[in-house]
Amino acid sequence: MKPLKNMIKLIFICIFTLSFINISNSGEKNYYKDLVTNWSKIFPDSNRNAAGPKFFKYIIDKDITYEDFIEYNKLYCAVSGSLIDPNDTPEFIYLNQEGTEKKMCGNYYRCCVPCSCDVMKYSSVQKMKHKFKDGIKEFYVLTIKNPCNKKDFPNRVNKDYFCEGKKINKTQVQELDNRIVIGLFHNGRSCKKDEIDIINNHQITGSYCQLRNNTPLENLQTGMGDIFIKLAR
Amino acid sequence: MKIKIKDYLKLVVLLLLLIPNNLNADFFEDITSQIVENPKRLSYGVSVTDVNQDGNFDFIVTGFGYLNLALSYENGKLINIVNQKKFSDEFRRTIGVAACDMDKDGYEEIYFLNTDTYSGTKKYSDRLIDLDGGNFIDLFEIKKNQKDLNLTAGRSVACVDRKGDGKYGVYVANYGGPTRYYEYDKKIIVDKSVELNLAKVTGGRAVVAGHIISDKIDIFAANERGANFLYKNNKGKFLDVAYEYRVQDIRQNGRGTALSDIYYRGRLDILNGNWGGFHRAYVLKDNIFEDIAKPPFDEPSRIRTIISADLDNDGYDEVFLNNIGEPNKLFKILDNGLLQQIPIDVGLEPDGYGTGAAVADIDNDGILELLVSHGESVDQPLSLYKAKVNPNNKYIRIKPLNKHGAPARGATVTLISNLRKHSKTIDSGSGYLCQMEPVAHYGIRKNEKDIKIQIKWTNGKIKTVSINELNQTITLKQK
Repeated sequence: MKPLKNMIKLIFICIFTLSFINISNSGEKNYYKDLVTNWSKIFPDSNRNAAGPKFFKYIIDKDITYEDFIEYNKLYCAVSGSLIDPNDTPEFIYLNQEGTEKKMCGNYYRCCVPCSCDVMKYSSVQKMKHKFKDGIKEFYVLTIKNPCNKKDFPNRVNKDYFCEGKKINKTQVQELDNRIVIGLFHNGRSCKKDEIDIINNHQITGSYCQLRNNTPLENLQTGMGDIFIKLAR
Repeated sequence: MKIKIKDYLKLVVLLLLLIPNNLNADFFEDITSQIVENPKRLSYGVSVTDVNQDGNFDFIVTGFGYLNLALSYENGKLINIVNQKKFSDEFRRTIGVAACDMDKDGYEEIYFLNTDTYSGTKKYSDRLIDLDGGNFIDLFEIKKNQKDLNLTAGRSVACVDRKGDGKYGVYVANYGGPTRYYEYDKKIIVDKSVELNLAKVTGGRAVVAGHIISDKIDIFAANERGANFLYKNNKGKFLDVAYEYRVQDIRQNGRGTALSDIYYRGRLDILNGNWGGFHRAYVLKDNIFEDIAKPPFDEPSRIRTIISADLDNDGYDEVFLNNIGEPNKLFKILDNGLLQQIPIDVGLEPDGYGTGAAVADIDNDGILELLVSHGESVDQPLSLYKAKVNPNNKYIRIKPLNKHGAPARGATVTLISNLRKHSKTIDSGSGYLCQMEPVAHYGIRKNEKDIKIQIKWTNGKIKTVSINELNQTITLKQK
């Protein structure tokens, strides 16, 4: 009889728990909802052009765990500043590590394919350290050089988001070695030879990006057009 | 072996005893058969007002290429009582409706928002219906009122007593053109939207008005493809403070919206549905609206009207989410802002194309009826539901009339007892195309006592009365 009693207890506990499932006090995190809800707070002037760095800053300033940080950073495009559907899959890409010719491979969550090409050509990878709720972690980020000295700073980008005079505006975006962090480079690592081949032979990161990256700036219509490129080049 | 079967039986009995929490008897009963002549049609907004000025409320149901109906309760049936062309008007395609006393004669005029196009310029203007000696007339057909006709596609309309003097104006949430605000000025109906800072262009969807952030009538407008508006009443004019109060929700497309006391704390907060997006339960904390909605309430759906009302007279409000082309949902607001989903079968309408809904105690039995309209892309008949109420449950209904004798739409009624401080708005419309009865309907909780009613009129003045007898409708008149 004892096993039966235990079984009954177990069933009772299960049903008791299940009976509360429909109560709307679930503690489950909805990272996407948080970004949607706070979109106006992140972009007070509603201009999100090339403003991936604003998302990164909003996220890294939160009191969250490293796992939360990873999940949040899958939900926006570092190049365009667009939100990304939670079910989207990333692009496998490589970029140079800042200041070296070393190729770094990893995943990039993008809103559309041209952004993969732009991030590969115009940004770099750097290592960053940060203290999260669950401790200090090291990870790779995507960065662009300080654009604040540019005479041709793209007028469709809110300069106040990025710059304070000629300096990077550290209250608005994350600065790393006088560069702006535009997003997280997921699963970043040194590339293996076969990984570079895979990326070079991929229909997007290979042939499509080659075409895009050889197109004159004034002829770029897709993705962010020339906005991000003008900001990052 | 014998023992095993016995034990299994015990287990089954135990399961049957416990499972009913999720398989309880239906919340609603379907009383649609009370509607006399209920053909398939394309209906939209529903409002509740006293159409024929006989002292009883009636449901108005708009028709999109079909007749506008005035459903009155007679001998246990809901029957259409108006067949006059200006009212019925099957050609102008009415979708939004709201009623209020614009001319201070103590009777409500009816604003029919017509829309013959999705966005931008439309062919036919709206109608503003008044009952004149038994005849329904359209005040917008009178020459002096034709200067500012609304020729922009719209969705919702709500009544606003912006000065608190009982003279209502109508906020028209237009789509692809400027918002309009109609009001009598020297006996002429004019658009005052520019003067009042309301003439913004957006994809207007829902609009509600009441004591939201000030002691006068404020306006919350839920929009599509643009930020929501939260207009704070500033001496009768308006200032958009949606950004400051964090309700712009710019990435979502607003739909059904209702003012509701989510925390039972004696103030109105905002329930706001978003089309295919996160539904919000905004509660004011430190001058910012915080969205406390969690699954399953906030889960995206094809939402239309949202209604917050105590349907089963247990003292806790239900929230009815009317969806189009997918099942409706029902929640109960428990203490501390918890929204508990109530499983429904009757009223679920999995194939229903809900376009509007409203509640009223149309048969005066102390229990609210819920009328659901359908249409848009599928012609369907109306549905009428009523909660299965424990006969021991008691209620109190408060019907505030302003100093002109008209329903005090926008006023806030608060029930104060040993168990709660529970505010309700006298609905100004238009949570989405619709408007509820102008009565604050309260079920009474178990062990509830020392019940008082506080009313905050549209001018911000407060009056408190004690309640000595339940199960009645009390009419409170503003002095």
